[in-house]
Amino acid sequence: MHDYAEPVTKLIDEFKRLPGIGHKSAQRLAFHILRTTKEEAERLVSAILEVKDKIIFCSVCNNLTDADPCRYCASLTRDQTIICVVEEPYNLVAIEKTREYHGLYHVLHGALSPIRGIGPEELHIKNLLNRLRPDESGECSVREIILATNPNTEGEATANYLGRLLKPLGLKVTRIAMGLPVGGDLEYADEVTMHKALTNRHEI
Amino acid sequence: MKLELVEAINFRNLSGSIELAPGLNVIYGANAQGKSSWLEAIYLLATTKSFRTAYPREVIRHNENEAILRARIKRGNLDKEIQLLIGATTKQTFVNGKREAVTRYLGILDAIAFTADEMEIVRGSPDARRKFLDRGIFGIHPSYLGTLNEYNRVLKQKNALLREASEAENKFKYQDLIEPWNDQLISLGTEIHLARLDYVEKLNEELKPELFQAEQITVRYKSSLEGKGDLGDYSSLLAERLKLRFDNELAAGYSLLGPHRDDLEIHCDGHEISKFGSSGQQRSALLILDLAQMSVYHNNFEEYPIFLIDDLDAELDRTRIEILLNYLGDNVQTIVSTSKRSIADRYRRRARTLFVQSGQVVEDLDIVQEKVELTAGAETTELTDPANEGGPLDEAENKSGNDKHRAPF
Ligand SMILES: [Zn+2]
Repeated sequence: MHDYAEPVTKLIDEFKRLPGIGHKSAQRLAFHILRTTKEEAERLVSAILEVKDKIIFCSVCNNLTDADPCRYCASLTRDQTIICVVEEPYNLVAIEKTREYHGLYHVLHGALSPIRGIGPEELHIKNLLNRLRPDESGECSVREIILATNPNTEGEATANYLGRLLKPLGLKVTRIAMGLPVGGDLEYADEVTMHKALTNRHEI
Repeated sequence: MKLELVEAINFRNLSGSIELAPGLNVIYGANAQGKSSWLEAIYLLATTKSFRTAYPREVIRHNENEAILRARIKRGNLDKEIQLLIGATTKQTFVNGKREAVTRYLGILDAIAFTADEMEIVRGSPDARRKFLDRGIFGIHPSYLGTLNEYNRVLKQKNALLREASEAENKFKYQDLIEPWNDQLISLGTEIHLARLDYVEKLNEELKPELFQAEQITVRYKSSLEGKGDLGDYSSLLAERLKLRFDNELAAGYSLLGPHRDDLEIHCDGHEISKFGSSGQQRSALLILDLAQMSVYHNNFEEYPIFLIDDLDAELDRTRIEILLNYLGDNVQTIVSTSKRSIADRYRRRARTLFVQSGQVVEDLDIVQEKVELTAGAETTELTDPANEGGPLDEAENKSGNDKHRAPF
């Protein structure tokens, strides 16, 4: 098998590091880049650098943001008594799309998965607990936690674990309804399904 | 359901396609010419699994990236086309030319196979018997496959924790981590337990030992929690046992409790066949089980799955072959492979016979030759003659009855 010129091989190898990209796709992407104009390539590069420069994680909820705290955490109109816990930032976006939820969020950045070495310490659970501590007046504004992790075994285990952790704090802890396809990912749930899952949540 | 056409591309040494008849099909040819590969291809199309290898790479032709299998199936008045694309590490399923999830793909072509592998069910480890049960269940309840996959996933996650815990200093902290997995193990495990109990009951109703003059045959689901408490309330019992044996699981470093430790007991006249049965009894028992599985399927869908027998004469003697093929008759589409020309000849009149050479179905030149000689009036009729009723052995067997399925050629 003949190799491409080194810069091409390098680009293919970089693409191959991306999730879900195999050799064939990497090759296709690399040749697409080769065919584009220099301006288009520069636009792509600067978009990549811009997210690396400007996007940070919100120090309160861990959502992706360009300002800290993020617009959800900073908003005065959102319901401060309820926090919806999700696995990834894109799960948050899916819930926002329903336009029915007006509370706060908390992004875990993953789910429990012992086979991948992901335990509670690898998830953003500690700063969730911090948010539930009473303030100077001895009060905690949060009344309910919605566990909106994925309806698969890892998401279920994560919700179960958090439920056991949060129940003793005297909060209402709910789990979104499982009208969603079992073993699925919230990423693929449409707005209607997502809305139903939220409104039919049950206390655990 | 009728499998009409199977096509293979870059699959082992096969090439071209084969057309199958509604009743009996005999694929014959010398060893390593591809007769079993055609059967394997059909089984893969039905189940996405091979009965010959656990490594998909092995079925892909050397120097190719992927193998493609296609089938045309008639169900009632509906024509369906399925396609399985096999890569070195992935499989993709298509229905009528469109990519579909495997859960929508499975069930379009259902097959029951009698292969050398399957003998494990009657003489091997519990694992083979659990798989036999599970295959039967998701044949009639497709969603059971999801339950099973999730259970195995939970088990894998829990085992990873237990393995870690068995090497850790502070085992105590693992309780909180393991409980979320145990909760799912209990709910999914209970679903599996109940589904298997129900299926075993259905199987028992359909076991027909008299077919092979076998002794009384019964099956019994043997839960690994037997004798430990009230199995009627399985989820409570499993929860209780998990709590009680938590330390044992920590020490062992893997999961000790759940339906993945269960077994199916096959009794022949009160004796467990895997331990006390002769090899003949075991073969009969397996056939009886396979046919019962087929009947349960039929009770559910009012049609039969296709029946595959790899290397027909290697596992079964002539009498059993005859009884089996007569029983399957024209109702069940049956596809068998054999290396024996004599068997192909014996069933030539009521079967479609496919001669395989170098992976391809070709005209059997010997047969062509005989036909030419016959039409030329040559005196070769005492040789194996496709136009004749078959050899003397057939005549003898015919007298003992069981000839109702002899279809016109
Ligand atoms: Zn925030």
